[in-house]
Amino acid sequence: MNIQRISAIFEKDIKDFMKNMMLLMMPLIPIVLALLYKQMSNGEEFPIYFLYLNVGIAYSSVTSTCMMTMMAEENEKKTLRGLIQSPASMVDILVGKSLVVGLITFVSLTVSLAIIGSDPLLNGKAILALILLFLFFLFLGIGIGLFSKSISATSAYTMPVMLLFGFTPILGSLQLDEDGIIMTITDTFPIMQAIELHEKSSWVPLGIIAGWVLAAALFMYICFKKTMTDD
Amino acid sequence: MENIMEVAGLKKSFGKNIAIKDVSFEVKKGEVFGLLGPSGSGKTTTIKILTGELSKTAGKVTVLGMDSSQIGTADFKSKVGILSDNSSLYERLTIYDNLKLFCKLYRAPLQQIDVLLREVNLHEERMKTVSKLSKGMKQRVLLAKALIHKPKLVFLDEPTSALDPGNMAHIHRGLLKLNEAGTTIFLTTHNMEEANSLCDRVAFLHEGEIVELDDPDELRYKHSTHDFHIETYEGERLVIKNTPDNADRIKELIVYNRVKSMQTDKPTLGQVFLKVTGEELV
Repeated sequence: MNIQRISAIFEKDIKDFMKNMMLLMMPLIPIVLALLYKQMSNGEEFPIYFLYLNVGIAYSSVTSTCMMTMMAEENEKKTLRGLIQSPASMVDILVGKSLVVGLITFVSLTVSLAIIGSDPLLNGKAILALILLFLFFLFLGIGIGLFSKSISATSAYTMPVMLLFGFTPILGSLQLDEDGIIMTITDTFPIMQAIELHEKSSWVPLGIIAGWVLAAALFMYICFKKTMTDD
Repeated sequence: MENIMEVAGLKKSFGKNIAIKDVSFEVKKGEVFGLLGPSGSGKTTTIKILTGELSKTAGKVTVLGMDSSQIGTADFKSKVGILSDNSSLYERLTIYDNLKLFCKLYRAPLQQIDVLLREVNLHEERMKTVSKLSKGMKQRVLLAKALIHKPKLVFLDEPTSALDPGNMAHIHRGLLKLNEAGTTIFLTTHNMEEANSLCDRVAFLHEGEIVELDDPDELRYKHSTHDFHIETYEGERLVIKNTPDNADRIKELIVYNRVKSMQTDKPTLGQVFLKVTGEELV
């Protein structure tokens, strides 16, 4: 890992991000939705699943979608090959890009949680869960971005990621059968496990989220390795 | 002279499709080596293997003293410059910002940007956004990008394909200057004039095999018929075989002051390629 190379990629990506209108709109989604919820809440406190719904929206629409779009664009326009041909390592490239997305996500999530309230999330376990969730959505975004090869193709993956992993807490409000197959499967999803962390004193939910992070990291690694050469 | 690159028995296949059958050559340190061939002959595949973008099926490749397992390492990448069909620029950023990124990645001094932009005739446009540049201008920025870290060896895949004659000549002068400074250049092209004016040696690649390898002038001489092509003041065009039997005939033409112009046959590289392979370079 080389700090100078990471900062060069970070500087380039921040400039590129600021000139990309499509990406600039993404961090506004969680903030606008938070403002709408606040308007509708009549001053009542939001339930925990609602806070995680906001986290899910921020991570899926900002972290995953922005990263997916950035990687797919690099791949489609062959600029990623230029970075790979330079002495920058895979870690330098990914960390440089992730810092940009991390910064934008942090601003968007902080503002949106400041609007709807963040007190239940301000404890060690919840913060650890938020970090792991960020990594999961980040790795998923990188992997899909590299896998899809073009920006237009990423749109086919954006909705499933948002619905499956970002909006999962909505299922809790649909009053589905608790023992039904849908709830049984989705209960193991990362955000649902983060919610469960507030209901149990066990560390198992964090372990399950870490498992999702590892799976996403493996997916990302395989996709990146395939991008390294034309084989 | 020391070899900077050695390729022996190189083979590459994509499934059942054989792209390179058996390629062997050496590139000497400090020379301009041209790999010539029509589209689909295996030029780009060869460059991709030499730069680590593709794996080989068989054979031995050594570049800058590094074998296949070391090609692609950070050390290797810091010593080579690449301009290929996979090279691209960040369209929303300026020329300067694009080159600044690579300057930092290669740890090259930022002053190098101005030096190179003058070389490729783009210094005045340095703050222009890449999306607003013509194809030829982009190609020149890509060339500057490939040279930003003063590499020991440069791979150029069709470097002047999108350039007009004026800019092509400008780039050729720059490449020769770079070569004089000690940089080895490995280029692929199907532009015979480019190969003739730039290359110390050329290899003809045909259907995945090297069919000729020599100095361009030697190749043209080797494949010449050596006939005399004479144009007389009367407008007659004569082709006279270069044999002792014809000495008197030529002498007579000179003595009677009938010769307007006279030259021996020397085919162009394109004609040599056609003669050797039966295929035109397009």
